[in-house]
Amino acid sequence: MRKWIHGFKIDADRCIGCLACMRTCPTQAVRVRDGRAGLLSELCIDCGSCLKVCPTGAIYATTRSLDEVSKFKFKVAVPSPVLFGQFPANVTPGHIVEGLKSMGFDAVWIFTAEIELANRAIREYVQSWKGKLPLITSSCPVIVRLVQVAYPGMVDQLIHLETPRELAGRELKRKYSEELGISKDEIAAIYVTSCQAKTISIIEPAEGVKSDLDGATGIADVYNGILASAQSRKETNDQKALTAKLLRSESLFEWDMSEGQHRNLHGYRYMSLTGLSNIIRVFDDIEKGKLRNIDFLECYACWGGCLNGNLTVDNLYISHAKLKRLMSELPKDDPELAAEVERRFEGKEFYAKAPILPRSVEGGMGGLKERIKRIMEAEAVLADLPGLDCGLCGAPDCTTQAKDIAAGDARKCDCVFLSEDRMNHLRRIYLKGKQDSNLNS
Amino acid sequence: MAEELFRKSFSILSCNFDKAGENTTEIKALLKSLDFNPDIIRRVVVVAFEAEMNVVMYANRGRMDFVITDEEIRIDITDEGPGIPDIKQAMQEGYSTATDEMREMGFGFGMGLPNIKKHSDFLEIKSDVGKGTTVMAGIRLVPDA
Repeated sequence: MRKWIHGFKIDADRCIGCLACMRTCPTQAVRVRDGRAGLLSELCIDCGSCLKVCPTGAIYATTRSLDEVSKFKFKVAVPSPVLFGQFPANVTPGHIVEGLKSMGFDAVWIFTAEIELANRAIREYVQSWKGKLPLITSSCPVIVRLVQVAYPGMVDQLIHLETPRELAGRELKRKYSEELGISKDEIAAIYVTSCQAKTISIIEPAEGVKSDLDGATGIADVYNGILASAQSRKETNDQKALTAKLLRSESLFEWDMSEGQHRNLHGYRYMSLTGLSNIIRVFDDIEKGKLRNIDFLECYACWGGCLNGNLTVDNLYISHAKLKRLMSELPKDDPELAAEVERRFEGKEFYAKAPILPRSVEGGMGGLKERIKRIMEAEAVLADLPGLDCGLCGAPDCTTQAKDIAAGDARKCDCVFLSEDRMNHLRRIYLKGKQDSNLNS
Repeated sequence: MAEELFRKSFSILSCNFDKAGENTTEIKALLKSLDFNPDIIRRVVVVAFEAEMNVVMYANRGRMDFVITDEEIRIDITDEGPGIPDIKQAMQEGYSTATDEMREMGFGFGMGLPNIKKHSDFLEIKSDVGKGTTVMAGIRLVPDA
């Protein structure tokens, strides 16, 4: 089976086998065997829930270190708009841009124009859409993967357009290669990301094509560097004008916040959802036909939107307040920006490079009869299990364990209720030397 | 004669709106783990949900049998309830006997049976007024290549 690349790794030495990641995983992709967590790659949708709950930091995001991109001639940072809401008030967008440059980037690309282009493309897409409703945003990579894995019948409803960050990567390469007279391959576009899921959307796009970005580094990875650089700089008087010049319009911040598409899709039946468990409930209702009469769903896997991504530093609510404040200082509509969007929109293709297809995950082996036999076996096994979902067998719940057993990936004797040996095995792993004295006390 | 490969029965309670659709969710999970094609899953899910909702809304109680044979996937529903006096009329889009309360919850827009018909390959309804209704709907499977 194909091995999927993910935006994080599990360090076996630091894993204490505590089951926290396995219990939180929304797609049952984690198993804990012999006191160590392991991943069923094809089930993982890169939501990052496991990173958030891991108490020892054994699960860590694999972003790109700045050293790795040093081979490129020209390095451009493409910051997620979320970055601007992470710092104390005296660290201005101007400081943040300078800070990124002090860390080795040759330029910083703030993608307000690409956001407006994407907004317009979405509006036209929704207007002319004749297929099944609701349409679903595709800017959150976790949502795209969730649909591919768990709601394959809905893949056509994912908005099939490039995201602003991808448009930015394409445009900056065109511009700098022209200006500097170097090849596009010599330019690195590095996304400064609020979560590890966007990293994976760059390394392994859901459509199976090559991204126009070359990698990602986490907001948390550049945070201290920017802060240090800002503190060594003097306050200048023209920061306000500089902020407006750099950020251009308040629309920059609309994409990463919940209800961000509200203004753009005014007049449509629109719903904004954040938090994976909420989204799964709504998707279930849509699939059954229970929820109708909705044109558009804006979905962010992280609760509260990208501001709450697992590579951010500041608290969701504080950064939300900061961004709102920044927005109030920015123009609603900038004529120069509008002209640029007009010019760049004409005749351009905004469709994603390839269709998004469902990801086939399980039960694929054998004919229908064999597959049904396995399901019935799993049901029979389940009847013998205690149904407590304690997780001590290494699977998140009894139902999953029964399926694993039927598929030959686990054994009935992994259950502590059915096997004394299993309990002893777990004692050796989790109690280590402590067991003898404990048992007799 | 088609060979029955799988059968699972679910009981459905009347007016149980908060739990309505859970059987359908289970059927979906089953079909998914059997690796059926997404389009088939989607159609079965709509048929099962609408059929289930009909019992929840109008009948006293009912039973849903989910059946897979080597030729088809079938949803058989039998309920004890008022029955349907005029099936032809009930099949029309928009025809509904739902109460205002049901409509407020977002149900009862007269799309239930028409939706089942639209998403299934065959549909058979038998009703005995004052006793109950039997709905049999299904999707034909193209044999494994």
